[in-house]
Amino acid sequence: MRDFPPLVSTFWSPYGEPVAKAPDTRSPVRFLWWVLRQQGGVVVVATLFGVLWQLPLVVGPWIFGRAIDTGVVGQDPAAVAVGAGVLLAVTLVGAVFGILLHTLVVRSWLISLYGTTKNVTRKAAQMGHVLPRRSPTGEILSVASSDSDEFGALTEIIARAGSQLLSFLAVAAIVLATSPRLGVVVLLAAPLLVGVALPFLRPLHRRQELERSRNSELTSMATDIVAGLRILRGIGGERTFGRNYAEQSQRSRAAGVSAGIWQAVIEALGVLFSGVFLVLLLWLGTRELLAGRLTVGELIAFLGYGLYLIGPIRTFFEFAQKLTRSLVSARKAIAIFSPDSPWQEPTAAAPLDATAPLTDDLTRLTLRPGQLTVVVSAVPEDSARLADRLGRYLPADTEPVSEEPELRLKGRAARRARSERARRRAEIAARDAERTRGPWGVRLGEVDLAAAAMADVRATILVSDTGSQLFAGTLQDAVDPHRRLTREQAEEALLAADAVDVYDALPGGWQGELDERGRGLSGGQRQRVVLARALAVDAPVLVLVEPTSAVDAHTEARIAERVSRARAGRTTVVCTVSPLWLHHADRVVLLDDDRVVADGRHDDLLAHDAAYRAVVTRTMQEEEVSR
Amino acid sequence: MTASLLDTSAATWRDDPEPEDVVDPRLRVPYDAPPRERLAAWRRRHRLRREQADEVYAASRHPARGWPVAGDREVLRFARTLIAERKRAFVALVALNALAAATALVVPRLLGDLVDLTVESDGAGAGRIGLLVVGVVVLQALFTFLAQRTSTLFGQDLLASAREYVVHTVLRLPLSRVEGASTGDLVTRVTRDVGTMSRAVQFGLPMAIISLLTVALSVVAMLLNSVLLAVPSLLVIGTSYVAVRRYLRAAPRGYITEGATYSRINTTLTETVEGARTVEALGLAGRRVRQGDDDIEVSAQAERYTMSLRNLLFAVIDVAFNTPRVVTLAVGAWGYAYGYLSLGQITTAVLYVEALAGPLDRLIGELDRLQVGATSTARLLGIAEVPPDRTPLDVRPDGPRLVGKDLRFAYREDHDVLHGVDLELATGERLAIVGPSGSGKSTLGRLLSGINRPRTGSATVGGVALVDLPLEVLRTEVALVTQEHHVFIGTVRDNIVLAREDSPDEAVWSALAAVGSRDWVERLPRGLDTRIGSGQQSLTPAQAQQIALARLIIADPHTLVLDEATSLIDPRTARSLEGSMNALLGGRTVVAIAHRLHTAHDADRIAVVVDGRIVELGSHEELVDRPDGEYAALWRAWTS
Repeated sequence: MRDFPPLVSTFWSPYGEPVAKAPDTRSPVRFLWWVLRQQGGVVVVATLFGVLWQLPLVVGPWIFGRAIDTGVVGQDPAAVAVGAGVLLAVTLVGAVFGILLHTLVVRSWLISLYGTTKNVTRKAAQMGHVLPRRSPTGEILSVASSDSDEFGALTEIIARAGSQLLSFLAVAAIVLATSPRLGVVVLLAAPLLVGVALPFLRPLHRRQELERSRNSELTSMATDIVAGLRILRGIGGERTFGRNYAEQSQRSRAAGVSAGIWQAVIEALGVLFSGVFLVLLLWLGTRELLAGRLTVGELIAFLGYGLYLIGPIRTFFEFAQKLTRSLVSARKAIAIFSPDSPWQEPTAAAPLDATAPLTDDLTRLTLRPGQLTVVVSAVPEDSARLADRLGRYLPADTEPVSEEPELRLKGRAARRARSERARRRAEIAARDAERTRGPWGVRLGEVDLAAAAMADVRATILVSDTGSQLFAGTLQDAVDPHRRLTREQAEEALLAADAVDVYDALPGGWQGELDERGRGLSGGQRQRVVLARALAVDAPVLVLVEPTSAVDAHTEARIAERVSRARAGRTTVVCTVSPLWLHHADRVVLLDDDRVVADGRHDDLLAHDAAYRAVVTRTMQEEEVSR
Repeated sequence: MTASLLDTSAATWRDDPEPEDVVDPRLRVPYDAPPRERLAAWRRRHRLRREQADEVYAASRHPARGWPVAGDREVLRFARTLIAERKRAFVALVALNALAAATALVVPRLLGDLVDLTVESDGAGAGRIGLLVVGVVVLQALFTFLAQRTSTLFGQDLLASAREYVVHTVLRLPLSRVEGASTGDLVTRVTRDVGTMSRAVQFGLPMAIISLLTVALSVVAMLLNSVLLAVPSLLVIGTSYVAVRRYLRAAPRGYITEGATYSRINTTLTETVEGARTVEALGLAGRRVRQGDDDIEVSAQAERYTMSLRNLLFAVIDVAFNTPRVVTLAVGAWGYAYGYLSLGQITTAVLYVEALAGPLDRLIGELDRLQVGATSTARLLGIAEVPPDRTPLDVRPDGPRLVGKDLRFAYREDHDVLHGVDLELATGERLAIVGPSGSGKSTLGRLLSGINRPRTGSATVGGVALVDLPLEVLRTEVALVTQEHHVFIGTVRDNIVLAREDSPDEAVWSALAAVGSRDWVERLPRGLDTRIGSGQQSLTPAQAQQIALARLIIADPHTLVLDEATSLIDPRTARSLEGSMNALLGGRTVVAIAHRLHTAHDADRIAVVVDGRIVELGSHEELVDRPDGEYAALWRAWTS
């Protein structure tokens, strides 16, 4: 039987195993069915164990009743002893299977939970930078952390409801055999009670959704206050935002109270219905007893069953509730899992020659191999777009489509909103597919990047943009994530990026721990570690976008000098406006409106090119302003 | 230089391959070992996992870094205060739940009577009892509704107060700590810990009270029904005491460890998704997937530990809570034979013992939840324990002159980063501070803006030490401009009036006009009342920066300290902000911690800071031609 954590090989295979079939995303129901199939029988076995776990409850009252009739009323100590013995044995069986059931339920829950998280991670690995273009990051993460839990809860409730259904049928059989009339009542009344209560669940569900969304808004506000705490304590505004939080907290409370009261109504109805059921059973039972068709022991057994049956009824309620929630979660998971990578691998990948010139068709810029080229542009976005093109990345120009259900919408309006979202998502997918189809427009030598294998492109051209991120781990991992450098190489990279102070500041040297996203470091320190990492990769073509925007002039001067030396003989592109870089460049290119308008060495251009001088001195003026 | 700085490099660099397995091999199951060995191995695993959980728990109570954590006593006091503040609701909660539990206990009693009645008097009066049961059930439903309603009102009210208190303490954190520390730990506290506390306060506390009431009243009802039947059953239930206590001692630590592994899973995945492009660029996808799998392996171990703990508990309570049925049968048969008991009493007793297991289970579960909640609450209350960094005096500065005298400062004891800096600012002048990173120029900026108190010497404005001013006054004298691009979730007005929260709309509009934002704000759907910030109306980077500048115009300090590294004036927006920035700087004294030498070039004076000292001070013209001058060398590098 499967155990947790499950082995997952959809979307991406980090261990060289074949990639498994993707989840079934045709509809939420099919998706849930796929989730259950991943269980490989755990839920089925859990259901069977569940039946045995409930054995004391199913046969206990009957044994007890028999013992009362023959042993107690009939004054037969031996019958009492047998009854007690059997009851004890049944209790022990129940206890043993209780433990086994619990073990399996934990297992099935975690197979679904961990499995979903692993699938999300693998989807992120498969889609790369395209995934956050399609779906909001928060939703991708919530599929892994909270929707996965709903799927786990679904497996648990299926096992529990399934075993209770079987137990319910067993009880019905016992009751039918003892007294057909009462048996019919039990069989009919219980489902009826479930049916009566169902309409009350929907409003509760809506109120809980509202509560949840208000709570998550409240959490965002708290996070927001912490994120801006420096401003709030430095400039002020504690009163305003404290008040805003308190107001939202009260709105959350109101939503919670409204959901809680509705829950109270349902609880009370549950008490009422099961009480009425019990009374009905009792009333019929006493009549049967008086008519001589039922013994005292059997009546007591019936009472026991009456109390027991409340349990399954509640479980069936819960099942309905959790199934609905799972369907909502399934919809969100589908939004993450269904898009395919827009990249098409060429049928026969052309090899890339890193020593060839790199040409961008749009700007008609040809980067000469082995040179340090600094790209200056009047509008910095132009440089960023150029870097995206050179590295074969889709630009961050989409508004990701959320799959968060809108609370105010119901029925047809909700369905319409859903199909509208699906349309927008399809639109982005189509646009991406359009862009990735055909030649890319950047050539290395004569080979268009679209004709080469993506892995080859990534290995040949490294783009380190302003969004480059550090990951939690040791400093050694940060500089050498692939573990393929020698110590000397890593030291050189650290030195070239002038990040030695980071090494010095971390207790433990190379083994010093960085927090997630390098949070404990200053902006300048982070930027320099990112630069060290990019240099250490030693890519044939390296494109750096604003690599030193957060460091001071002293440091920047050192970095520009060392990087140009470290990259000597290899193609390097730096997008920046800083003079400290400009005069280390073999060549400076000025972009304006996606055109090369000046091209040469910094000194020459500064001396002879009016347009260049205008842009560079204008940048200088801006800095003057921003002091 | 490098040789001395990296002298630990060889010692700390690891060439050995990473361990294949993140999980201790001793935690793996020896599937083909004989049963006895497997049992011993299981015991060993359980012990190892417990040690791990104890470590995680100890670390969470006494963190090596980050914000403080409160003790148990503070948590108890906090809970007591919260309950004491709503005494009436609490009494109503207890009373109504007691009533609901009591009516629930009447039903089995009536059923027992019914059995007796049917057996002894051929059912005469059965109809009356039947009606009575219906009546009791209706009452029980009513009480259940009222009790649940009170619980909800009580729990939600308690929760709202608790979380508002937490945010209130966050908003009072001392300025120097906020400027210094990373906010990650705080984010975890206001999200995850508030969540855990919420569950404990909202459900745990009322449910624990309810379960306790039900259990206590059930015991009373059992004793009232028949002491003879009740005592043996209660004794059997009592045998689980040791196991339950052992479980309750270990379990919260297990759950806290489990929680920590899940937040680790989330952190890794967040990094992977947010850094998707970096992952792709560096070909780290495989590593990130393996890292995620490793996190899950560790989490699975934590799950196995709590699962074992629960199994150990269940082994005892499933027997202890279910055997009373057998005991009731045996004692009942004996008592009935000797005429001590009626059939009705036996019926009632068996119904009671059947119904007792549920509340007992719940009580154990809720005690668990409360303990986990208490740990989170301790972390939240820890925020309030950060000592204030200043006690404002009742003094007002006499004029805007900013003077620093003999400024020394150390982040770590005996490691001064400033060594006696003297600096006097002329009103309205622009001073640029340049120097290599780590030279102390940012620290100088913090002392001059009153964020930190100098170790020796003084930073004064109009003769009063900056750190002796109340924050509200300090903000209108000197402002440190940092991370200005943050836009809060709130209205445009909320985002601007920060320093003077009572500013009239005219002031807000004129501040917006000064930074050139009036037009686009007027075009917003609800003008100043439009909600902006994350998840609301989105702003362009330039608009966000204009908002930040408008804040400073409202604050209207006579002196601004600008740190270029942290103020992160986005190069993409710089051009459009030219006018806005001029509007802000006009007529103010400006200290610019400059990273771009052009900033220095245009300043009235330049202070070159090296190794915690001002080594050069003068105008660009005075410094640029000095032979061997620091500034001159830098300028040559910049312009050559």
